[in-house]
Amino acid sequence: MLEILLPILIFAALALAAIGAWRRIRLWRQGRPAEVDLLRGLVAMPRRYLVDLHHVVARDKAMSNTHVATAGGFVAAAMLMILVHGLGLANPVLGGLLLAASALMFVGSLFVARRRRNPPARLSKGPWMRLPKSLMAFSLSVFLSTLPTVGVLPADVGSWILALALVAALAWGLGEMFFGMTWGGPMKHAFAGALHLAFHRRPERFSDKQGGTGRSTGLKALNLEDTSAPLGVETPSDFTWNQLLGFDACVQCGRCEAACPAFAAGQPLNPKKLIQDMVVGMAGGSDAAYAGSPYPGKPVGEHAGEPHGPIVARQGTALVDAETLWSCTTCRACVEECPMMIEHVDAIVDMRRFLTLEHGNTPNKGAEVLDNLIATDNPGGFDPGSRLHWAADLNLPLMADVKQADVLLWLGDGAFDMRNQRTLRALVKVLRAAEVEFAVLGNEERDSGDVARRLGDEATFQSLAGRNIATLAKYRFQRIVTCDPHSFHVLGNEYGELGGNYEVRHHTTFIAELYDADRLAFAPWKGGTVTYHDPCYLGRYNGEYEAPRRVLEALGIQLNEMERSGFRSRCCGGGGGAPITDIPGERRIPDMRMNDVKETGAELVAVGCPQCTAMLEGVVDASAEVRDIAELVADALVARPIADAASPARRPVGKTTAEEVF
Amino acid sequence: MAFDALFQPIEIGKLTIRNRVVSTAHAEVHATDGGMTTERYVRYYEEKAKGGCGLSICGGSSVVSIDSPQGWWSSVNLTTDRIIPHFQNLADAVHQHGGKIMIQITHMGRRSRWDGFDWSTLLSPSGIREPVHRSTCKTIEEEDIWRIVGDFAQAARRAKEGGLDGVELSAVHQHLIDQFWSPRVNKREDEWGGSFENRMRFGMEVLKAVRAEVGDDFVVGMRICGDEFHPDGLSHDDMKQIAAYYDATGQVDFFGVIGSGCDTHNSLANVIPNMSYPPEPFLHLAAGIKEVVGVPVIHAQNIKDPNQASRILEGGYVDLVGMTRAHIADPHLIAKIKMGQVDQIKQCVGANYCIDRQYQGLDVLCIQNAATSREYMGLPHIIEKSDGAKRKVVVVGGGPGGMEAARVAAERGHDVTLFEAAEALGGQITIAAQAPQRDQIAGITRWYQLELARLKVDLRLGTRADEATLLDLRPDIVVLATGGHPFLSQHPQWGYSESPEESLVVSTWDVLNGKVAPGKNVLIYDTICEFSGLSAADYLADKGAKVEIVTDDIKPGAAVGGTTFPTYYRSLYEKEVIMTSDLMLHKVYREGDGLVAVLENEYTGALEERVVDQVVVENGVRPDEALYYALKAQSRNKGQVDLEALYAIQPQPSLSEVGDGFLLFRLGDCTAPRNTHAAIYDALRICKDF
Repeated sequence: MLEILLPILIFAALALAAIGAWRRIRLWRQGRPAEVDLLRGLVAMPRRYLVDLHHVVARDKAMSNTHVATAGGFVAAAMLMILVHGLGLANPVLGGLLLAASALMFVGSLFVARRRRNPPARLSKGPWMRLPKSLMAFSLSVFLSTLPTVGVLPADVGSWILALALVAALAWGLGEMFFGMTWGGPMKHAFAGALHLAFHRRPERFSDKQGGTGRSTGLKALNLEDTSAPLGVETPSDFTWNQLLGFDACVQCGRCEAACPAFAAGQPLNPKKLIQDMVVGMAGGSDAAYAGSPYPGKPVGEHAGEPHGPIVARQGTALVDAETLWSCTTCRACVEECPMMIEHVDAIVDMRRFLTLEHGNTPNKGAEVLDNLIATDNPGGFDPGSRLHWAADLNLPLMADVKQADVLLWLGDGAFDMRNQRTLRALVKVLRAAEVEFAVLGNEERDSGDVARRLGDEATFQSLAGRNIATLAKYRFQRIVTCDPHSFHVLGNEYGELGGNYEVRHHTTFIAELYDADRLAFAPWKGGTVTYHDPCYLGRYNGEYEAPRRVLEALGIQLNEMERSGFRSRCCGGGGGAPITDIPGERRIPDMRMNDVKETGAELVAVGCPQCTAMLEGVVDASAEVRDIAELVADALVARPIADAASPARRPVGKTTAEEVF
Repeated sequence: MAFDALFQPIEIGKLTIRNRVVSTAHAEVHATDGGMTTERYVRYYEEKAKGGCGLSICGGSSVVSIDSPQGWWSSVNLTTDRIIPHFQNLADAVHQHGGKIMIQITHMGRRSRWDGFDWSTLLSPSGIREPVHRSTCKTIEEEDIWRIVGDFAQAARRAKEGGLDGVELSAVHQHLIDQFWSPRVNKREDEWGGSFENRMRFGMEVLKAVRAEVGDDFVVGMRICGDEFHPDGLSHDDMKQIAAYYDATGQVDFFGVIGSGCDTHNSLANVIPNMSYPPEPFLHLAAGIKEVVGVPVIHAQNIKDPNQASRILEGGYVDLVGMTRAHIADPHLIAKIKMGQVDQIKQCVGANYCIDRQYQGLDVLCIQNAATSREYMGLPHIIEKSDGAKRKVVVVGGGPGGMEAARVAAERGHDVTLFEAAEALGGQITIAAQAPQRDQIAGITRWYQLELARLKVDLRLGTRADEATLLDLRPDIVVLATGGHPFLSQHPQWGYSESPEESLVVSTWDVLNGKVAPGKNVLIYDTICEFSGLSAADYLADKGAKVEIVTDDIKPGAAVGGTTFPTYYRSLYEKEVIMTSDLMLHKVYREGDGLVAVLENEYTGALEERVVDQVVVENGVRPDEALYYALKAQSRNKGQVDLEALYAIQPQPSLSEVGDGFLLFRLGDCTAPRNTHAAIYDALRICKDF
């Protein structure tokens, strides 16, 4: 009986899956066109899956092994099952392999089941809770159905009741695995995920065989010339089709949720829910079926959307509330953690662009900051002629005078901030001690456009970027050095698309290079215990985790690392314009971060970002002092030992110099 | 941005000043060695530059001519090329920290003394005597004029060759230039006096000669007064006319403006307003000058607080604020603003210890900052944490010496406990602050309160420490700063008793503390002649008492400095307090409900009596030594301070000797009664090496 029923079942499931797939693809194709090299993507897909995706999944070894067993077992079992039971190629070798595959899958599904017995809060429940049973039903029924094929059991063993039960279990398993895959069940992630990897909007983020690590974190430019294109994303269908496909790949594992600083602070954002809302939106409907953690303070079931309806309502509710979008610090913790390589930050900025550019609705201080940027080229609205006031006594060489220099020191808007001015002065002292030939743009420098861009004001960003690029084009320099990771990121990763290509170094990278080249010498560290806070825009955005640690090591500091450090560093709360849009939560992100610091027992937290410094120093009753690495280096400078007698005597670095004077 | 106005750079001539804060010219009384700037001088200005001060104008009343005596106030001597290398040291020291430095140059004319050094014949346009210095002078001759004009030019050249950034011509404080300006002093009928142009001529010739000598790329400014406040002197309108007249030449790069002339004791007090004045009392005069000139205007007078300074600049009254005493109190003022440590700024309280010493020809020191002008000795403004072991330091006494000891020991990283018998910190400062117009002295305590809280010093207020309590804490070091008590028991015939009912006399402390009710008819006998007697008189008069203050010294308040006794006198005369000198308190006895004070004339021995209802005696302080002698024998160092190390600012040798038990140091009035500065200085130099 099985020989008759199984092929029917299998091909019916495959047919239904094909119909489902066609319907799903239609949903994605509501999105706007995107230039994707389909063929190359498909070819690259296995490597992207096996290397890049696995690299993320493998951070959780147990889960990684579980997935290898379950998914590997399933893919093998499914193919073999089609051959053995669907096409009747009942030879013992194939049968044996099928038995092995289904057994492997069964073992995997036991681990899946075990995880589901006491699932962490970040995992979605709902249909996901039945998945292990479905996996077991499928693998067990395939296994049992295959036993006769290899002659372990006679073909006519058991009664027809037993056969029916087996068929029912198999139907359940097939239904979940094939029908559910394309009709919106938990297994959808496999189908959408594979295609998402193939047609990813950032193919450059994947590693290559030559050993390139792949990194793509710069936001993509809006084409402001194209009057037919929407300014940002108003409705789900304003996303590109491969973005919609990407949302569909979500497995609701909630790793993003666990990493999101806004979620932890009780602000109304949960990256997982946001992606699920986009999935709801592309199909139309309400979020009532969502079975994960909601946006803090926002019950599930009150929001609904449709593919061509607005995501954010001008008044009342639609799919997502604006404050959800404005809670994001663009720290990329979610993107970094996502095993499905979904680009949450891109989506959020796309939607912010619409709110800012079309609605003119940037909350709280947002509008003021953007107005300032438009009027004064800096977010604080300071007199643009005062960018060098902090250095009135330092005689910094101006590019306008010297025309060329080895290093162009990019000041950033911290030049207007009294706290950051100390960092800048320290950095100048370090550069001078290492006899670096550098110059600054001075009042010709404008804000890099980071904040404007992340607040969605692409027009102001492109205006600032265009003028900065034009200014930089007037001068010759080897590289740009900056103490601001945001400037570093924007100049290094986002100006290229607009025609500005530069070699940019974060100051810690540059200082590490100077130290390694014997151009700096340090007195032994006399301070207390130290931890280091990785700035998001240096670490996750640019992969620079080593240089700051290298410099601190050179200073003689042994770090007490925070649990959340390196690529898992917790945001200070200062990115993405979040302090400007200032969406209320239950806690403040910088307070949580200073608690992380406190847990290490460190008396000092070394940072490398003006924004982090400001946020962390704003914490009341903090247990640790906040110092930029440049300041620590400047304090430790001693005269270098003269390398050999032939080298000319150098003026020793004074104990105090003008740069040290605040 | 907060304090943004302070941090706008400004161009003076062709010179960029990094911020709007200036340490204006004052006599430092440090430039010894014939007026050559010393290491001490250089370190003093270097510290300001290190602390972020934009511009220092050094050398108040630095002389350009040999007949303007340099020695009285050890001012800088610009009459010889020997000064040039000294200036180079000074300029380098300030410039390496990004600061700028200029010097005030002047001929003081009649405003000096002739009875010393070269026994100069002082000069003045019309030979009229100057009362403050009791100085007579010669009527200046045309030859002298041209000689001095040339001396100004040579002095400016020396400043320029020495690498300084500019000179400020002093035409203020009744120096020679403004002696020519002021019809109060200039009665000449030749081309140097009379008409406006004639009175301006000397200053104009100086300006022209100086500018011709130094050229355009060197700053030349003028310091002028905003109003002499004398009916026969220069009014504010006169000064506006003068400023505009000089400004029109285009040869003046800035004006510094000071309210008030100062050729009498009373007007002198205006120039460096003490704590009895409101904030920036003469800003309006500087603002009036700014209205009529096109170059930056600097104004200094009672600008002590960064918020106040910002408000003045934001209001556009002047272009730069002078915060001179503010820098004497805390040369790191600017750095602390920038570090967001405004609460850590040691703010000038207007005690005028600095200027009152200067007028006596003593080096300028700060009442509350013992490191100021002692930088060259290695006394630190910023106390470094100790590399050595953490010690348990117990300080007894919360007066200035004890508070400084606790602060310094805590900055060194030690575990510090401070006992104070009273409910609040401050010691005698708290008493001093009770008098009318003297409340701001409590600012000294306020700063220590903030610092001791920041440094987490364990404060045991309202707790009188005894031997057992101290030793229970197992201290490594005990610092006694227990102060003293009024010394009323010296002469038994005064009738002092420890029982308040029986005592015939009370102390100024009792009066100011409110421990005794003010009498209606009070005799104050003040043999000390410092602040406490005048304060008690002012306090009692303020409460409606009829007060006579009697001293055996030459006048009541004789030991109060030149910028402060006038403000007391204004208040005391207004309240009809009688001030009598040359009488000693012989005896007090009770008669009926009242008291009879028998006074004896110092010079004739004649007795006279006063019938009053309260006799207040100020006879100084007697040290409280009991605790010291209780602990002395047990201590490792037997309570001894090594004087050679102390005076050389070296660590106390006992600190590096190993042994059991604790070290004992005492300082301030509990050793010997002195003043606030002495207590703080002792504390700093003993505790800095803990």
